[in-house]
Amino acid sequence: MIQIDSVEKQQHRKLIVTWSITFLLLFPILIILGLLMRLNQGEWMKLNIDTFYALMTLHGLGMAGLLFSLALAALHYLIGTRYARLSVKTGYFVYFLVLIGVVGLLIATLIGKFGAGWYLLYPLPFKGGSWASWSTGLSIVSLIILGVAWLIGSAHVVYALAKEYGGFTKLIGWQYLGKEEPKEELPAIVLITTISLVPGIMSFLAGAVFLIMNLLQFFEPGLSFDPLLLKNLVFFFGHTLVNITMYCGVGWVYTLLPEFTGREWKVNKVLVYSWNATFFFILFAYFHHLYMDFVQPLPFQYAGQIASYFSTVPATAITMFGVIVQFYHSRVKWSIIPTAFLLGTAGWAIGGFAAVVDSTISINKVLHNTLWVPAHFHTYMLMGVVLFIFGFLYYLVYTNQKQRIDENARFGFWLFVFGAYGFLLMFYLGGMHSVPRRFSDYGGIAITSTHEMGAFLARSAAVCVGLLLLGLLMMYGSLFAKLLKKHEPE
Amino acid sequence: MHKRIKDSALLLTIGVLFFVFSFPMNDWFSLTMPRHQVLQLPAMFTLGIALAILFKKVNIHAISWGIAVLIMVMTSLIFWMLPRSIDLTIVYPWFNRVMHVTMLMAGFFTITVWRNIIFEIKITFPGMVAAMVLATGLALRTFTILLCSSFTLEQQKETGLYLIVIGFVLFVFMLTILFRELGRAKKEE
Repeated sequence: MIQIDSVEKQQHRKLIVTWSITFLLLFPILIILGLLMRLNQGEWMKLNIDTFYALMTLHGLGMAGLLFSLALAALHYLIGTRYARLSVKTGYFVYFLVLIGVVGLLIATLIGKFGAGWYLLYPLPFKGGSWASWSTGLSIVSLIILGVAWLIGSAHVVYALAKEYGGFTKLIGWQYLGKEEPKEELPAIVLITTISLVPGIMSFLAGAVFLIMNLLQFFEPGLSFDPLLLKNLVFFFGHTLVNITMYCGVGWVYTLLPEFTGREWKVNKVLVYSWNATFFFILFAYFHHLYMDFVQPLPFQYAGQIASYFSTVPATAITMFGVIVQFYHSRVKWSIIPTAFLLGTAGWAIGGFAAVVDSTISINKVLHNTLWVPAHFHTYMLMGVVLFIFGFLYYLVYTNQKQRIDENARFGFWLFVFGAYGFLLMFYLGGMHSVPRRFSDYGGIAITSTHEMGAFLARSAAVCVGLLLLGLLMMYGSLFAKLLKKHEPE
Repeated sequence: MHKRIKDSALLLTIGVLFFVFSFPMNDWFSLTMPRHQVLQLPAMFTLGIALAILFKKVNIHAISWGIAVLIMVMTSLIFWMLPRSIDLTIVYPWFNRVMHVTMLMAGFFTITVWRNIIFEIKITFPGMVAAMVLATGLALRTFTILLCSSFTLEQQKETGLYLIVIGFVLFVFMLTILFRELGRAKKEE
């Protein structure tokens, strides 16, 4: 086991505190953008159409980028202080690159009103008349900068692990597949980090091709690319990014949860098989985003359904089982940290199940353009990834015992969860009632019942977001104070 | 002594090839777009690589300098792929020779940086170049307007196809480096 001195640990801590504060500042702002959208859909306020789509774009790009960036930073911290030697300088380099990219996106969407949505569906970025042309170029360049930052950050973490654990095949646990017991134990976080970040590296490069093509189009409007090719590229990039964000979070649950339950959570053959399935199938799962594109070759559509099942079901099932075994009769002292990990896993299961349902071709035909889609990915992200992140942030600043006496934070946490599930429920009900997604408001829907149901659910969702924000505020008081406090080295 | 003769012979070969590609064969290379973009430009880059292999002691160790040099290499690659630059290289042979020297230096400096650069950049640089070449190839394939007045639309599309192939090769090269380096990685003592 590698020995990391306290000075280096302190440096890593400073870096993760910087990341955490940035996250805590940006996260509620991005939630408020979502709240404004729901208020507009609920007809409680009136946003211009261009403002609505600019907010939607920033909300989508911002949340996906912010959550992945923090997930990567948390892995950088946990691995850099426990399992392998990571460079703090590289960590700051990635941080500043991400910051530049985020500032670029803020300017493009809030000033330039860029509103093509998070995946810049080609050729929409160049056809929209409501945003300034420069904002398209700035968004593309900002996303390229973000992609480079994530690429460098991911490569850095994976390479450091490969050096520590003796090569790629050992990182993905193949030494467990033989008859003999491996000489050196592989921590689960190392396996899951590799399974997440290596496909991530591949997807970032697909994203780079997509973005450079868009950049060429920006400079030469006479160009006309194949929209299907670009849609495939952007979903390979975007879907993989969102997927691996969750897996990064799952990685630290495998490492941190045993500290609370007092039970080991070791890598074994079944775990290796299930996560290796994810490693392979995650690359092809994105095809399920293109079911509605009838020109996509048919075998790819079937591959999309099969890969969606195999990339999620084995790893999810084995992790759920592991989490249950961890908690069952463990006499865990419940604080926000283990609660967040348990509820986060539940959110992953619920959102994941809704996602698998949606990736089934016969069901997708009905649900594809309804609010069911934002319902599933919001569950997965808000009640999965975000809870893992809050569990991690509390782990960073509190001992379990001290956290248990912070009543305000605990109440805030439950209010946050309650508000969030209320908000998600409105999305699911919207999906059930065929309320369409991506509509700025429902005034134009000719079917009165759908229009009224959509607006009513949006208003209810806005109330729930209010509760969620209140809960967040209560958690913030203690989190900020603790994060900003000077930490004594161990 | 034997090594010195071998090195001198290699240096001479590089010099002769550079001269042949840049002067007697320049008209032949400039005749079609694929020859100019897919043969002459990479040939000069490859000669630069060969030159760097010869001068093993010339190395750039500092990571910051290495990154700066690779950005310069990438910028020069972009510059010499711009339609206006390509047109000028065909109209003015001296301008084409500026391209030859630049590519020779680009190849040379890429290797002097490559020997010592960190893994992260070893993945990012070829990855981004592959992405750029693929995107350019796809753009040339789909564009129905002539970009370089010195060539024809058919040649433009043909060049696009070759660039897509080169882009894929570079992408596979990047993946090879990724998995090879991860496979070979060992703990630093």
